[in-house]
Amino acid sequence: MQARKTSLAALEIVLIVVALVFIFPIILVGYNSLKTFGEVMINVMALPRHLTFENYSYVWKSINYPRLFLNNVVVTAIGVAGIVFISSIGAYKLARTNTKLSGIIYFLCIVPMLIPFQSIMVTLLKLAQTLHLANSDWGLGIQYWGLGAPMALFIYHGFVKGVPRELDESGTIDGASGFSLFFRIVFPLLKPVTATIIVIDVMWIWNDFLLPLLMVNGSPSTKTLTLAAYTFVGQYNTDWQYTMTAVVMTVLPSIIVFILLQKHIVKGVTAGAVKG
Amino acid sequence: MRKMGRKAAERLEFGIFAAPVLICVLLAFYIPFVMSMLYSLTDWNGISKKITFVGLDNFRQIFSGDATFASASWFTVKFTILFIVLSNVIAIVLAVLLDQKLRTSSLLRAAFFVPYILSLIIVGFIWKFIFSQGFQSLANATGWPIWTWSWLGEPRLAFISVLLVSVWQSIGFYIVIYIAGLQAIPGELQEAATVDGAGPMRRFFSITLPLLAPSVTIAVFMALTNSIKVFDVIMSLTGGGPGGSTISVAFDVYRETFQNNLFGYGTAKALVLFVVVLIITVVQLTYFKRREVEQ
Repeated sequence: MQARKTSLAALEIVLIVVALVFIFPIILVGYNSLKTFGEVMINVMALPRHLTFENYSYVWKSINYPRLFLNNVVVTAIGVAGIVFISSIGAYKLARTNTKLSGIIYFLCIVPMLIPFQSIMVTLLKLAQTLHLANSDWGLGIQYWGLGAPMALFIYHGFVKGVPRELDESGTIDGASGFSLFFRIVFPLLKPVTATIIVIDVMWIWNDFLLPLLMVNGSPSTKTLTLAAYTFVGQYNTDWQYTMTAVVMTVLPSIIVFILLQKHIVKGVTAGAVKG
Repeated sequence: MRKMGRKAAERLEFGIFAAPVLICVLLAFYIPFVMSMLYSLTDWNGISKKITFVGLDNFRQIFSGDATFASASWFTVKFTILFIVLSNVIAIVLAVLLDQKLRTSSLLRAAFFVPYILSLIIVGFIWKFIFSQGFQSLANATGWPIWTWSWLGEPRLAFISVLLVSVWQSIGFYIVIYIAGLQAIPGELQEAATVDGAGPMRRFFSITLPLLAPSVTIAVFMALTNSIKVFDVIMSLTGGGPGGSTISVAFDVYRETFQNNLFGYGTAKALVLFVVVLIITVVQLTYFKRREVEQ
């Protein structure tokens, strides 16, 4: 027993060291963003001698950070809200209707999970321009509805099948029908799976790069965070103190949210993978 | 009469609930997909009004005279296989270790998960900094030649860099899948085996690994679908270089279309990518289905 305890303690120490080495790149970038250019060039590993926040004020102004942050929030909120709405109502009706048509629609809607985004991106851009969805953040958000729907529909559909039909019928007796039945009775029951879908889709849309690059790269006022960081790093190239500051400013919101909601995020990601 | 009214109302409700998702999926996937098929038969450059129908010339060109496509395919195959093997092996090992009764267990899991919440583009920039500045200062401190190697400037090393950075970013995801799988294995089985005198290695290979099969299926599937489309890391870490040695098929499609302005040709490549992904997915799904039935 004692031997087992000692070996567990040894394992723990080894794992802590491995984990520290593993996340060291992030820590390193973090404290280098607080150095001057000269200090970065002399020794990257050394801690900053005195903290300079001048990099932050420079990058904040030059990329117009609040604007980008707002753009990201708008795109993500529109995208995720739309995916949850159309997929939950669709999955509910399709799972509760036993007709051939319902089966065909379900099949048509989940098959695109197999289509790689790169196979359609060129013509998606063309179509988005025709529909006036390109070059705007709300238009970008809307495009995620269809792109995110197959997986969300698939996960919702599986879950609705496990919800007893009697529950909707009890609602019908109360006189509720249509959307009011759905949002009063059914939607609350789908909460766990909705949480999963929100976690997966927020992470996806918040960090997405290629679709924003194609759709909203034209003007600085529509760029998303990742996209602006990409442009910024391209311009400043080896001005590491600035590029690493831009990196920190881009990842900090994600890291803060992760620290706050860690359990839910890990659970959502796992559940999504196991069900998807 | 009332009955018919109800039937119509039900149909109307079905339409209202199912139409939005169907319309969105049609617009996001099916219409662009059909358009891709049409454009792939043309020599359109994306801007000009003049579009010439060229039949299957684009596809002929892809398979006969396109050195970039051949090397991009080879890169993608190597990358996909090594990514699947590395990320799954490392994740299983770490998951088993993290599943022990450790005091800092949840903290450690969080540490390995952090890179997964970051955008791949940003991860590429972080590592670009590490490979150039970080390694430089490690070289000064230790004098080991490994830090002075050109990790992004030499084709072979650049491949390893792209691979390692990709594994680094997503390993946390595979670890949590395996931890979830491990926690579903009943503890009595392990105890019974220990009583029977099985050592940790024996227990791992005879009990843990076979019972982890469903998680392996999921993780391998996810690793495959993600790695075959590798794009973002390459975009920010190597830009496809040096000398085009880290161009993947997905990156090649992007390059061909938006940098070389060959819309028709790019969409043709995109369709080839689609067919390959489709075949691999179908083969993998049927293979795992059959194996699960046999068990």
